[in-house]
Order: sequence, then C-alpha cells, then structure tokens
Amino acid sequence: MFKFTGKVLSLSAATLLASSVISSAASLDDLVKAAKAEGQLTTIALPHDWCGYGDVIAGFKAKYPEITVNELNPDAGSGDEVEAIKANKDNKGPQAPDVIDVGLSFGPTAKADGLLLPYKVSTWDSIPDSAKDADGAWTGDYYGVLSFQVNKDLVKEAPADWADLLKPEFANTVALAGDPRASNQAIQGVYAAGLSTGAAAGEAAGTAGLDFFKKLNAAGNFVPVIGKAATLAQGQTPILVTWDYNALAGRDTLKGNPPVDVVVPKTGVVAGVYVQAISAYAPHPNAAKLWLEYLYSDEGQIGWLKGYCHPIRFNDLAKNGKLPADVMAKLPPAESYASAVFPTLDEQGKAKEAITKNWDAVVGANVK
Amino acid sequence: MTDISISNQAIAGKTAPPSEARVLRLPTQWLGVAPFFIFAIMFLILPTLYLMLGAFQNDAGEFTFENIAALAQPSIVAAYWISIKVSLASSLIGAFAGLAIAIAIVRGGLPNWIRSATLTFSGVASNFAGVPLAFAFLATLGRLGLVTVLLNTLVGLNIYAHGFNILSFWGLTLTYVYFQIPLMVVIIVPAIDGLKKEWGEAAATLGATQLQFWRMVVIPVVWPSFLGTVILLFANAFGAIATAYALTGSSLNIVPILLYAQIRGDVLHNAHLGYAIAFGMIVITGLANVFYIWFRTRSERWLK
Amino acid sequence: MKSGKFWAWVVFGFGAAYFFIPLVATFEFSLRMRRGAYSFDAYQIVLGDARFQATFGYSVLAAIFTIILGVLIVVPAAYWIRLRLPQLRPIVEFITLLPLVIPAIVIVFGYIRMYGSNSPLPFLASDTGTNALLVIGYATLALPYMYRAVDTGLRTIDVRTLTEAAQILGAGWSTIITRVILPNVLIAVLSGAFLTFAIVIGEFTMASLLNRPAFGPYLQNIGANRAYEPAALAIIAFAITWGCMSLIQILSRFAPRSANRPN
Repeated sequence: MFKFTGKVLSLSAATLLASSVISSAASLDDLVKAAKAEGQLTTIALPHDWCGYGDVIAGFKAKYPEITVNELNPDAGSGDEVEAIKANKDNKGPQAPDVIDVGLSFGPTAKADGLLLPYKVSTWDSIPDSAKDADGAWTGDYYGVLSFQVNKDLVKEAPADWADLLKPEFANTVALAGDPRASNQAIQGVYAAGLSTGAAAGEAAGTAGLDFFKKLNAAGNFVPVIGKAATLAQGQTPILVTWDYNALAGRDTLKGNPPVDVVVPKTGVVAGVYVQAISAYAPHPNAAKLWLEYLYSDEGQIGWLKGYCHPIRFNDLAKNGKLPADVMAKLPPAESYASAVFPTLDEQGKAKEAITKNWDAVVGANVK
Repeated sequence: MTDISISNQAIAGKTAPPSEARVLRLPTQWLGVAPFFIFAIMFLILPTLYLMLGAFQNDAGEFTFENIAALAQPSIVAAYWISIKVSLASSLIGAFAGLAIAIAIVRGGLPNWIRSATLTFSGVASNFAGVPLAFAFLATLGRLGLVTVLLNTLVGLNIYAHGFNILSFWGLTLTYVYFQIPLMVVIIVPAIDGLKKEWGEAAATLGATQLQFWRMVVIPVVWPSFLGTVILLFANAFGAIATAYALTGSSLNIVPILLYAQIRGDVLHNAHLGYAIAFGMIVITGLANVFYIWFRTRSERWLK
Repeated sequence: MKSGKFWAWVVFGFGAAYFFIPLVATFEFSLRMRRGAYSFDAYQIVLGDARFQATFGYSVLAAIFTIILGVLIVVPAAYWIRLRLPQLRPIVEFITLLPLVIPAIVIVFGYIRMYGSNSPLPFLASDTGTNALLVIGYATLALPYMYRAVDTGLRTIDVRTLTEAAQILGAGWSTIITRVILPNVLIAVLSGAFLTFAIVIGEFTMASLLNRPAFGPYLQNIGANRAYEPAALAIIAFAITWGCMSLIQILSRFAPRSANRPN
C-alpha cells in the first residue's frame, strides 16, 4: 500500500498505525502531509445537490489542491456503498471508496461486518453521544427533517400539517420521494405521518403511518409515483414529502419556475441522521481522515449548513455564535425544528419492519 | 429454409468421412466457439457466481435454503407473477407491432430514406428507457400531460374521467412497448430483407395468391428469427427496472424493484434474499428459454 | 400492390405518432425553463458545459471498441453453431439472455472482486486495463442483442453452401469468415452495432463504479435533481445518438458488396 519512501510519511504513517486503533488527530500537520503524499481521495454516493456536497468537495479541493477527489456513482444507495467496500477489498485502485456516507442503521451493521476503520476527529467531544459510535467507527454528519415541497403554481394554499393533506383540495397531489418499501426518505415520511397522529414511537407510529397513507390513497390524494424535481415542476406530483434540505435545494434550482414553498409540518417532525465512516480497506486512509477532519471543522459543518442540512455540531456552533446569520435566514424558522424527534436505532428498525412489510397490503396503492 | 437445411445435413453426412481424414480440421469448430465461451466464463459467469452462491448462504456464510424458501412469500410470488405478465404483454405487443413496421418499411414500397431513418431511430429508441422514458410518458399521458390536456381542451374528452390511468399495468406495458418495438424492428429487418425478390416472383408464377405467399413462404422463413426475438424481448422486459421504478415506483410490485431494494437499498439490505430473488429470475428466464426452444421446434414441424 | 402501400403508410404513420409524441412532450417541457416563455435555456446550460465533448468522445470511442469486440466474439461462435454445433445452441442462447436479467451492478461488482489491482488478472491496476475492462463490460451487456442480430442474419443466408463453395475454391477458415460470411451478414451486424452503440452511450452504472469519464455519469451529474435539464439532456442525447448512427449507416454503404445486397 505505501510505496512512498518519504521519511516524514513513513514516520507519521508508522506512528498513526502503531498507536492504538483509535487515533486522535494528535498532529493535524502530520496528517495533512501524509494525506498529500497519498494524493487521492475516493468518495461515493455524494450527489452535488445533496447538502451542498458540490461546494463542500470544492472547498476541500481548494484547501488541499494536491489531493484529487475521485467521485464514484453519485446515484448509489447506502446498500451500494457497503457493497462497494466489500467488492473492493483486494483492489487499491480508484474504484475503492475511502469514505462512505450512509443511513444511520448502516453504521452499526457495517461495523459488525468489520468494514470500518475507527477514527475520532479532533472535534469529537462536541458531537452528541447519540449520534456517534463509542469506538469511533462511524460518526453522525448531518440531519434534516421531513417537509412538504409544494408547487405554488398548482397548489394555491400549502398544507401546514400532515392532517391537512387529507383535505379534498389536495386531490392527486401528494407523493413520496422514494419507494416506501426500500427508501429511507420514504419510510421516514410514513413514520412521520404516523407520529403526527399521536402514535407512540417505534412500531406503533409505523402502523399509524400506513393507516394514514391508506386514508390518503382512498381519498384520491396520493400519487404513487416516486416524486422528483421534474415531476413536481411538470405537475404530476405537486406536493412532495422529502427531506427539508432536498426541498430547499430543489426550490433554489427551480429558480421560481415554478415557485416553491417548503413547509415543515407542525406535528410529526422526524429528523433523519446520516453517518460518515472510513472504509477499513481504504487505499488512502490518511486522505480519508483528513476529509473527516475537514467535514467536522467549522468550515465543513457550515458548508453543509449552506446546503440546508443541519450539521451534527449545530448546537455547539450555535452556542459559540458561529452560525452565519445570512445562511440561517435561508432556512425555515428554528421553531419548526424545536419539536424534532430523533428516532433511536431500535425505533427505526421496528418501524421500518412494519412499514416495508405491510405497505402493499395496507395502503393498497397496488397495481394488479 | 427448413427443407434446405435438412438436405444440407444429408450432404454433411455424406462429406463427413473426408473431413475426418484431415485430423487438423476436427477441433476447428471448437476453436471457433472457444472465444465466446472463454469470454462468457471469464466476464459473465464467474463474476456473477457470488450471486449464485450468495443465494444459498446466510450472513454467517453457512449453506442454507432459507433464502429460496423466503421466495415463497406472497408479496414476492405476486411480484414474479406481475413481472411475467408485464414482460409477456409487452413482448408480444412489441413483437407483432415491430414485425408490422419492419415489413412496412422493407416491403411496403415506401421511399428509401424512411427505411434507414426508421432503422437508426429504432436503434436509439431501443435503449431509451428508464427515467427519461417514464418522464416522457408522464409528460404525455399523465394527468397534466400534453395529450391528456389537448384531448380535454380540443375534443372535450377527459381520459382520466373514463378510467384511463398511466400509472397502471397497461400504462406500464404501453411504456415498455416503446423500447420493445424498436428492438424487434432492428433485429427482424435483416430477416425480411433476406426474402429474395425471386421467391415472390416464383410464387406469383406458380399462381400463389399474396396470402398463400405469406403463409407458405414468408412466415416459415421468418418464424425462427421472430420467435428468437420474442424471447429476447421477454427477457429484456423481465430484467428492466429503471422505467418501472420511475413510472409506477411504489405501486407496482415487480421483481427487479424488489431485487434492487434488497441489494442496493437504503433500508432493507438483505443481500442474500436479493441474490435469491435474482436466482429466481435466472431460473424463470431459463424456463422461458426452454419453452421457446420447444415451441420453435414444434412450430417448425407444423409449418413445414 | 397499391393496397399494400396504403397499409404500409398506415402502419408507419401510427408507429411514427406513437414514437414522436412522447418526444414532443419531453421537448415541450424542456423549453419551459424560463418562466412564461419558451426558450432554449436548458439547452444552453447543457451544451455549454466543457465536459460534454470530452465525455461524449470517450463514450463514442468505447462504443467502437465494444462493437469490434462484440463482432469478434459473436460472429465466429454463431457461425460455427449454425454450421456444425447445433447442439450447443440452447446453452449459448441461454447464456446470451443472462445479461438481461442479471443487474449490471452485480456484474460490475463481480469484476471489481475478480479483477482488482491485487488479483492474478489486475485489470484495475492501470487506466488502460480499466478502460479495457469497461469495454468488456459493455460487450457483455450488448451480448444478447449482438448475438440475436447476427443469428438472424446468418439464418437468411445459406451458410453451408457458401462455406462449401469457398472451401472448394481453397479458402481457409479465416478467409471464409471475414471475406465470405461477414459481408453477407453485414446488415445484421450493423443492427447489432446500432444496439451496442446506443447501450454504450447511455450506460451509467459500470462507468461510474469503475471511475471512468464516460457520457453516462456526466448526464447523471448534470441532470440529477434538476427539473428541466434532464428533459433537454434526453432530447440532446437522443438526437446525437441518432446522428451518430446515421453516420455509421452512411459509412456502411462503402462496405464490400454482396449478391444479397445489390443496392
């Protein structure tokens, strides 16, 4: 793996490797030198419009121009990213991902499969405990809440809450942004609808969500198409249930054609956390660690904020007055997030079971 | 064509002994097909072997039938069934419509440029699938689609009020046919082309009507290629996911969507069940292939 | 046949309507980028990107190599099976159907597993090797279409008689295949070439996971999460691919003539 003979590199590499597996970034300069010597970073599944990753990656490249960034398959799902690590175990070429950004539930399972390299970033302590692995195998990176993205041309008055969606004026308008039997975004959407009806967290909310969508479908308000920016603009899916950061980014790219409202519902506000991790078989582990250092620095976190995602160190940044006012002004008001619920892994797992297994049977939006 | 090949086989039988005398010639046919098999083994079968093996393993790596048994769930069985129905419907419609178009452009007496334009267009359209195709049909026949709106404003006909819905079995089949027809056109045109002018003239000289010419000369000649393309269309539709996903995503439960959910998904990720689903798809394709071969042999005899 | 011509026009007319109307709808939507007026804004954004030419050129080159590889693999095999080995036909036909039902992502992950930089056949250890592996992957995806097209073409000519005639005249096997059989099935090979070309230009999964600068990943990059650009992209990609195929069609007129194709 290390073909380079630079003394500084081999020394710092040896120190990093020889020390315990959990390495704190004792010397950022050594890490930068080691990363630059590796010269490459391979990422996967990072669409440029997702959380402003385009600008975040550009910022990293500007800061460390000696490191080229290979971006693999921005369309990949969390399952693909884990599969990519497994398939590239023996490959050190630019097809092997160094870092992954996956849904919360994938962190522990990937760690159990031995696919992750633990690393605790220098800002480790300012990250909430519930959003990181105790050993540093994975770290929560950002979250968003489910919201309604509304095409103002076709929907005169936007819904304010889940219950509004059942009203007759929203016939043939509501769609999920994914397949509720497989997509994290869609499943959390169903879950949030269930929570808004007052059901208990976990399986109960999942079942309640299914009932909600059954009512929605029976009322003729549900459109069983996977909604995207194009279908929103064209009119097939004028109301889209999607993460707030996707809705806001979508609003920006549409540039008022059509004008879009982004509404965080009053009840049933569910936050979805994604996690960042380093591949145990990464060909460029130091570049990967540097990438994580960048993401969890103030600069990286605010980069995500500009992409409308709430960075995981949001509370810490707020406490230290580091949140830029102009960026905050573009987000929905902070009160909307006050009642945000962070489902635990267990609750998510049980709800997911209920929703994926019973969607077809209960909601019956099935085509025979 | 069948008559010719039988007499050829008789000739081949007569000339076999001389070819055996030249020892060097015997393995040539095996050398000729070797590149294909080496390629298939190295780049198709071995790389996907982990899928076959994975279907029979669980997470701990032990051999098990539980994934195959899990295929018997009602939702998965229903998915296979719907996939087979959509594939059958779109391949049959696509096949006959494609054949009609191919005959029209080759023998219909249309201007020459129409034939090459149609062929090249079909080449492109055969691969026009996935999100762009689904979106194109939503933009045409969706609730706010171009045709829907035009029919409503110009003729006063609201197709949705009459029960039409693009998000349905037939809507999906209609969309699939968009890439099935061109595939048939592109592949069958050389076969129609091969119908020599002399045959038509000979048939006319012998007093055959147009219908008899078609029934006794054209159809038997084109039939095996036609059938072969039908099975290709079937497998093509069976494995297609992107279009269905983009069009009917959460409402139509077809097998490739299930498969993707398991091996690629954000949430489910039971890769072994996914492999079992893929294994089931391969088995069904194999059975379809066997049926096609049986049907072709039977019908060739019947058409003689 | 007057009535024959009439029906031909009817069939062609229905076909043209069915195929063009969805394209018109997509085109109409792509013109709506500027609010309130039709404009080509979406097209300017797409075509103004510098990577358009580079990635399209890469994919065209890959397509040409894929077509050559496909012909080299499929034509001899299809020929020998028709001539001498009909018992292999069911196996070969089944194998050629596999790429249609095995997802491309499974195939490419299989390649990465088997041909990674540390394996006995390290395709992925160098750029050239990775490019070669991509072309091989494309040829695998195009296999069903190429085989069916070539097999159809071989059925329309009398393979046995042509072969024997050539042998009597003293031709060796390579001469028979390249100078007797191939020109006679050129239309069919061209069909297979068209289908292969379209597949390679639009392919995304393999190129993006093998980290190659192809047209598919570029299209995805520009169009993801946009509303109007993907529609413009679809029209542009359609038009350009159609143009390239027409070019191939015209160039094929310069290919060796055969008795079956007097024009």
